Amino acid sequence: MLEKWTGEVSVINIGATKEEGGSRRQVIKVGGQATLPFLSGEGVLANKPVVAFEVWDIAPSDWPAGLAKAYADVFSDPLAWAEKCVKEYKAGLICLRLQGAHPEFGNKTPDEEAKLVGELLKKVDVPLIILGCGDDAKDNLVLPVCCQAAKNERCLVGSAAQDNYKTLSVAVLADGHNIIAESPIDINIAKQLNILISDMGLALDHIVINPTIGALGYGLEYAYSIMERARLAALAGDKTVACPFICFVGQESWRAKEAKASEQEFPCWGPESERGVIWEAVTATALIQAGADILVMRHPQAIEKVNKYIDELMKG
Amino acid sequence: MEKFKVTFCPDNKTIEVDSGKTILSASLSAGVYVNSSCGGDGVCGRCKVRVKKGQVVTQPSGRVSLEERKQGIYLACLTTIQSDLEVEILPESRLDLDKLTPQDLDLRLKGFYSEAEEIESPSSILGDEIFAHSPLATKLYLELPPPDLEDKISDLERLYRQIRRIQDIPIMQTGLANIRRLGALLRSADWKVTVTLGKRNGTTEVVFIEPGDTSHKNFGLCFDIGTTTISGQLVDLNTKKVMGTRATYNKQVTFGSDIITRIIFAQEQDGLERLHHAVIDGMNKMLQDLIQKQAIDLNDVNCVVCAGNTTMMHLLLRIDPTYLRREPYVPAVNFVPTIRAAEAGVKVNPRGLLFCSPGISSYVGGDITAGVLSCGLDKEEGLAILIDIGTNGEIVLGNKDFLISASASAGPAFEGSGVTCGMRASSGAIQKVEISPVDFKVAYETIGGVRPRGICGSGYIDIIAQMLGAGLLDKNGKIKIKDHKRIRDNEYGREFVVAFKEECDSTVDIVISEADIENIKRSKAAIYAAASELLRHMSLEFADVKKVFVAGGFGTYINIDNAKRIGLLPDLENSRFIFVGNSSLAGARSILLSYEAMKKANDIARKITYFELSVEPGYMDEYMAALFFPHTDLSKFPSIKL
Repeated sequence: MLEKWTGEVSVINIGATKEEGGSRRQVIKVGGQATLPFLSGEGVLANKPVVAFEVWDIAPSDWPAGLAKAYADVFSDPLAWAEKCVKEYKAGLICLRLQGAHPEFGNKTPDEEAKLVGELLKKVDVPLIILGCGDDAKDNLVLPVCCQAAKNERCLVGSAAQDNYKTLSVAVLADGHNIIAESPIDINIAKQLNILISDMGLALDHIVINPTIGALGYGLEYAYSIMERARLAALAGDKTVACPFICFVGQESWRAKEAKASEQEFPCWGPESERGVIWEAVTATALIQAGADILVMRHPQAIEKVNKYIDELMKG
Repeated sequence: MEKFKVTFCPDNKTIEVDSGKTILSASLSAGVYVNSSCGGDGVCGRCKVRVKKGQVVTQPSGRVSLEERKQGIYLACLTTIQSDLEVEILPESRLDLDKLTPQDLDLRLKGFYSEAEEIESPSSILGDEIFAHSPLATKLYLELPPPDLEDKISDLERLYRQIRRIQDIPIMQTGLANIRRLGALLRSADWKVTVTLGKRNGTTEVVFIEPGDTSHKNFGLCFDIGTTTISGQLVDLNTKKVMGTRATYNKQVTFGSDIITRIIFAQEQDGLERLHHAVIDGMNKMLQDLIQKQAIDLNDVNCVVCAGNTTMMHLLLRIDPTYLRREPYVPAVNFVPTIRAAEAGVKVNPRGLLFCSPGISSYVGGDITAGVLSCGLDKEEGLAILIDIGTNGEIVLGNKDFLISASASAGPAFEGSGVTCGMRASSGAIQKVEISPVDFKVAYETIGGVRPRGICGSGYIDIIAQMLGAGLLDKNGKIKIKDHKRIRDNEYGREFVVAFKEECDSTVDIVISEADIENIKRSKAAIYAAASELLRHMSLEFADVKKVFVAGGFGTYINIDNAKRIGLLPDLENSRFIFVGNSSLAGARSILLSYEAMKKANDIARKITYFELSVEPGYMDEYMAALFFPHTDLSKFPSIKL
């Protein structure tokens, strides 16, 4: 029996080409599904899931050695790091995390970060996701100037949360970007936040939901069910949750003990160099099945596996 | 361990305590009363003291203003003792009402320890005419033929015979105490006496015999004993006239604001005793006020009817409530037999009777039975729902064929408790509000038309709805606007001034804070979610409901549009809503005035089934979805213009 759906996920355009006033080589479209993940017999799968490479403005201190090794040569140079992702690993989307702005991790000024965003946009020509440092007060200073620095480039900027969404919504609206709306694995809060943001004037088709996920073994199934419920509601016609999902797969997977513990500690687990990659890739593929549209990942080998998986799935 | 001496004034009591103890705990040891509604969590701000001498360490609290801090004012519960101390208990933190100046009393009236106040009972549509007038206590004046050699039956039989000449009462009983006095009493009264007859567990009791004709003096009391508020009414049992209505906060709040905390407290040493006394004292004080005002003799108050949730009834009767909260949640009693009021400690005529409205389960009590009785839900042809907006939001769904109830923990916000400027629906409470979307000008109406003292539940409903309408609030309940004379930020978050102190009968501005709004939001979400989950359980929806009875002590009226706007009530046509005020009190009064109603209440209690929301996975989800104005699923409120 085939299901008939009345709703569909909105399409978000990330990046703007020259014709649209930006300088990206292409626009990445996500969303647009009119069916549950990969049930192409029931409806259109307008766009495929995409992977974004995570790049930091400072050298991350908590990335395990097996992961850090992949970027050892560019680890403290965000511009070179992004360039390496694009040139060497064929990244189509970069996710810049401005961790260095955090008061406890370098406390970079808003101007420094805005300058970095400007330079990065010159260095690489793929669309950009910009993430704050996670400190609300600081992000409210940093992100608006970064939005300005990236004006007309139609980035995806995050994150807005239920108790801190106004400043970012206004900045994103003013400079023509898209916004990430983050909710703590809760479909109701996801929906409420979307309504609050759209009440600020930013249309629902400029919102990407970060449903918050757990890695494999760390609540993945919980995240899965929340995403599935949201998607079912979207397909049933609820526009307020009909937004694409962004999942921070790298961030969650590489915190798992199974991804980073050494072989000496757990001989029967096998070499950590393979384990971490697999952990990240398996987490990503499960979330793709749940309906993830953008996966922010870290290890190039994991990303390679996931891209292959996506291509296979899209063959229908 | 180091010991310090703490002296409390004005009581002038000194106690030695270990260092590191809080001032509040020292005051308890010293037997000095300091208010503490939140039980020492630093939330209620009612335990303010001034440290006159000595060293303390305190935690910051938004409840103490900068100005007060400069004067050495601290919250007793958050402040630990570091040296010998001299502490002054501030007037508003003390219990002894009599010693307070009028100004202090005024301050206090906003708090929990306010005296029972005259409250405005809403003009109820609920008639008392439904049930035949047959009060639980009746008085009969009798002129007995004196005995002679022809007519030698005993005094008691003579009395019974005379009663039976007037009323057909097959079975009568009376206590030994009455019989012992009978011989002398009849003769000294020249065989002219008044008997009080009480309906008692299916029989009729001669409760009291007095000389002469006092049959015109026959009064009764009915009480609604809520978790947060106790309301009482004095009724003339002969004429059915309500002589006065009063309400007071339930002093048990001191031992915890919710039922579960109180049940746990009851297990502590003397806990049950103290909880029992807290409620009895409140009732006795209130009935004292009521009869004094009407110049009625306590001896003429012959019966009392109480309706309350199951825990409240257990505590009233000093029955251990422990098993109410232990699986499988079984109460000690649902159908309380008629007892002497004095056995429970209620001070009326010592032989007067106490009736309790029958309960349904551990978490749906006699207040709901009384509520159903008073609005006649059990006789409705079409589907109807009773929504009782109280600390426990209780819902009854049904009609003449079935009745099902659910209970949700809603919190006391709508009763004016736990919110910054909340108060009961008594004189001076802001109960109706309009806010201009242009300049945020506030137009309000108070109960009694006097200067405002605070805000009652219906006022909060209006304020939040109007703030949403005026664009002052986002749908999450946060204040959006910053630059306006009515809006300001403090340590506790942003607040909106409803009335400036110059226009108030208060020393401070009357405000609503974001925390208050959050509180109200949770309350309304719990109630709405309970109703919608109960309907879902029965495979019904709000659209199927023909009548919505809205009950609760939040005010004398409710603006249905505003209640829908905040998502407290479902989005149905206004004509389907019927505001019934305190339906529990109305039901208790019906019982007081009619034995038929008493029997009906028993039938209702047997008929109502209980649906346990707490084990229903869908409830939490419904609740989360309802934590939004009006609701996360906006399609449920199509008539609300966004």
